[in-house]
Amino acid sequence: MGSIFEKLWRLGPAAFVFKAIIAAIVADGLLLAFIFVRRTYRKRFFAKRDKRVFELRQEWDALICGRMSYDRWRKKAFDRRIVEAMALDAFEAAGPEESARLLKFMRTSGLIEKRIFEAQHLKGWRRMRALVALGRTRAPEGVPALAEALRDRHLDIRLAALRGLGRTACPQAAEEILAWIGESGLTVPALPLQSALIQCSAERPQLLLPFVKQAEGPLREIMGRVLGEVATPALGLELLQFVGDEREELRAAAARAMSHTDAGMAFDALSELAEDRTWFVRLRAIIGIGNLADPRAIPTLLKGLTDSNRLVRLRAAEALVQFRAVMVPIFQQVIQLRDRYGLHAYLTAVENAGLRERLESQLQSSNVGEDEIRRLQEVLQTGSLPTEEPDPAEAVANQPESRL
Amino acid sequence: MIRLLEISNHALFWYYLATNLAYLAMLIIALKTSAQHQRRLESHRLSWLKDTPMTPPITIIAPAHNEEASIRIAIRNLLELDYPQLEIIVVNDGSRDRTLEELRDEFRLRAVRAVYVSEVKSAPVRGLYRSDVDSRLLVVDKEAGGSKADAVNAGLNAATSPYVCIVDSDSVLERDALLRIMVPILEDPKRVVAVGGIVRVLNGSEIEKGQLRRVRLPRKSIEAIQVIEYLRAFLIGREAWAQGNMLTIISGAFGLFRTDLVRAVGGYRARSIGEDMDVVARMHRHLREKKVDYEIRFVPDPMCWTEVPSDLRSLARQRARWQKGLLDVLWPNRDMLFRPRYGRIGCFALPYLWVFELFAPIMEIAGITTIILAASLGVLSREFFLQFMIFGYAFATVISIGSVLQEEVTYKRYNDWKDVVRLVSYCFFEHFPYRQLHMIWRLQGLWQYMRGDHEWKPLKRKGLASARAQ
Repeated sequence: MGSIFEKLWRLGPAAFVFKAIIAAIVADGLLLAFIFVRRTYRKRFFAKRDKRVFELRQEWDALICGRMSYDRWRKKAFDRRIVEAMALDAFEAAGPEESARLLKFMRTSGLIEKRIFEAQHLKGWRRMRALVALGRTRAPEGVPALAEALRDRHLDIRLAALRGLGRTACPQAAEEILAWIGESGLTVPALPLQSALIQCSAERPQLLLPFVKQAEGPLREIMGRVLGEVATPALGLELLQFVGDEREELRAAAARAMSHTDAGMAFDALSELAEDRTWFVRLRAIIGIGNLADPRAIPTLLKGLTDSNRLVRLRAAEALVQFRAVMVPIFQQVIQLRDRYGLHAYLTAVENAGLRERLESQLQSSNVGEDEIRRLQEVLQTGSLPTEEPDPAEAVANQPESRL
Repeated sequence: MIRLLEISNHALFWYYLATNLAYLAMLIIALKTSAQHQRRLESHRLSWLKDTPMTPPITIIAPAHNEEASIRIAIRNLLELDYPQLEIIVVNDGSRDRTLEELRDEFRLRAVRAVYVSEVKSAPVRGLYRSDVDSRLLVVDKEAGGSKADAVNAGLNAATSPYVCIVDSDSVLERDALLRIMVPILEDPKRVVAVGGIVRVLNGSEIEKGQLRRVRLPRKSIEAIQVIEYLRAFLIGREAWAQGNMLTIISGAFGLFRTDLVRAVGGYRARSIGEDMDVVARMHRHLREKKVDYEIRFVPDPMCWTEVPSDLRSLARQRARWQKGLLDVLWPNRDMLFRPRYGRIGCFALPYLWVFELFAPIMEIAGITTIILAASLGVLSREFFLQFMIFGYAFATVISIGSVLQEEVTYKRYNDWKDVVRLVSYCFFEHFPYRQLHMIWRLQGLWQYMRGDHEWKPLKRKGLASARAQ
């Protein structure tokens, strides 16, 4: 039996073309017919739907409170979908009171049970749709069904379940997620997992600690990042053990988390991390020190201004401008660093914070001497270091690539 | 001679058939992936993405050269975008009109001494300005660098976010475009290094306060035909190529890149003609050589609406430039061809571009010439020739209608029946004489490039203000 290419070749152009013309014309016709039939159908469908939405909207309060009999809309799939969609949309914008009312309605009308059943028994995109709907309700009774779907073999289903659990934002959901990653490891991309865990464990971050200690590899990094986001002062002592961790992600997480803890305890740890060999650990530490707003941090922040990484310099500068009462002495120290990049970072932060006028007025009223005031004003005006002394940063400035 | 003509005609027949079959395969892949994308979107609520603390910051870089007519609307549109952490950098690339003044008046700019480290090369920067109206807006005023690439590089130097989104300052993004384009990155930030969004034709649509109010098909035929071309290129071509991680272009009008990677490849090549394709090609090369597991994705729903040329002269210049840009990218990267080191890009995507894109106008000219020769020598079967033309015409319309179908079943932006009827009718009328003109423009582009004309020339545009702005 010859291959398809041999057959095509034997047909030759002349024999092939006639058949191809017929096929192409038929395809043209079918495509056009599909477009026009679909348009007509959709036009009618949406007209009918809009009309029904309007009718139900008129009776929305009665419907939600249960004054309208559920049988009036539950038995018709068309109506049921509309009501559910309207209720779920209302959830997105509802405050706590309205959410509770909507949730009660979803429960008593049986819509949640129906979605739980679908999430447990359907397959493919129908299951995914049920999971998304459950997530949107934030109903705690949906957690087991969502957790079950975490074990689905399709990634999209697992992601939908994960996002749904994240939306519930309850520790029970966090426990389910942690149990699942304990069983099967990292089977979803990192970001959705981090987001879901952050949302669920914000209330009880201590849930994460045993898992952070046990986890290995990329999972440990992810857990570290989550911990960094949700850490509270109560975790202070627990977090100290990660300051010397071999994984840079975890050290960064510790730095991030320490800024939420007691300032007395965090200060030394953050100062140590501000000198870490990895730039993003230093960045996190500098941001953390900035959050502490402790004047003892000024020397560390000044050092951060001369960091080889641009983001670290920018964040150090942003932290320094927070000390508004002592802007002039800080400005003097920034100039003494003799680092053009550090000076620019500081001036940028001053400009961005809208503090330039304040610095100018503090300069006017300061008692550092007229010559010094003039010198500082000149630096402020020109953005350049004073010229009387040699500029050690100049050599580096000619090779900007080295200062990322 | 007659034998030679027969061989040539046969070769051209198979070339033409291969082109059409490639398009048919792409149409089928695109229809399938669009359906999958729509289903996958159901597991996302865009508002959920916005709420998560893990959504990374983005810097939008909008180069502007003599854009006084549209700059206000365009930047207002960018500031209205729905995204939690945003920085917008407008690069005034030595405009000789009132672009900077327009920005200054509208957004109350004040000079700042922000950190500007020239990490990638660009023409000297004259000043940096931050807006008092919205502190997320930074304007980089620089000397003219002669290309969009140079302006983008200046923006890259000032960018502070891990991702940069390059847009044209005469384009309009849909409000949720950034959230949508971030979806692949949020799913897999380690592998996804760049994402392209879809670019659609703005002409004829209505804009209100920087937002697209109503999508309409342009009235002029030359603009409406470009709507079909854009649908075909994006909804079929890019969708299908991206499926195999073989996307070789992310439109300069709307693309998202990892900042460190763009910097690592040296930014945009200032002298490149097709800077958007060039940077993607260099990314592929860089990542393949470093043996990095990566993906460059295309997402068909974050939409960017851009103004297309509305007169033949501008269109001819644009298409000639695109063809020059193609050659300008393919020639320096010819060493990637058929080398296993460069994977599918070297073995499949680049050869396809050489054979079916770069040589397409040459093959068409060769086809017409041999047909004329064969007819004059009496060796052309008129019946066969007619059949072949009908087949070519009918098949090309299948692909065009297929792209309209894609738009219909997925995004459905043309709501008016009249617009759809007109759009479908242009699928039948675009093949003559537009297609032949297009071929001539592309040949002109090749000729200009080979003569040494490698200049990046800006096009004449009406500006967003003329897009029935309210």
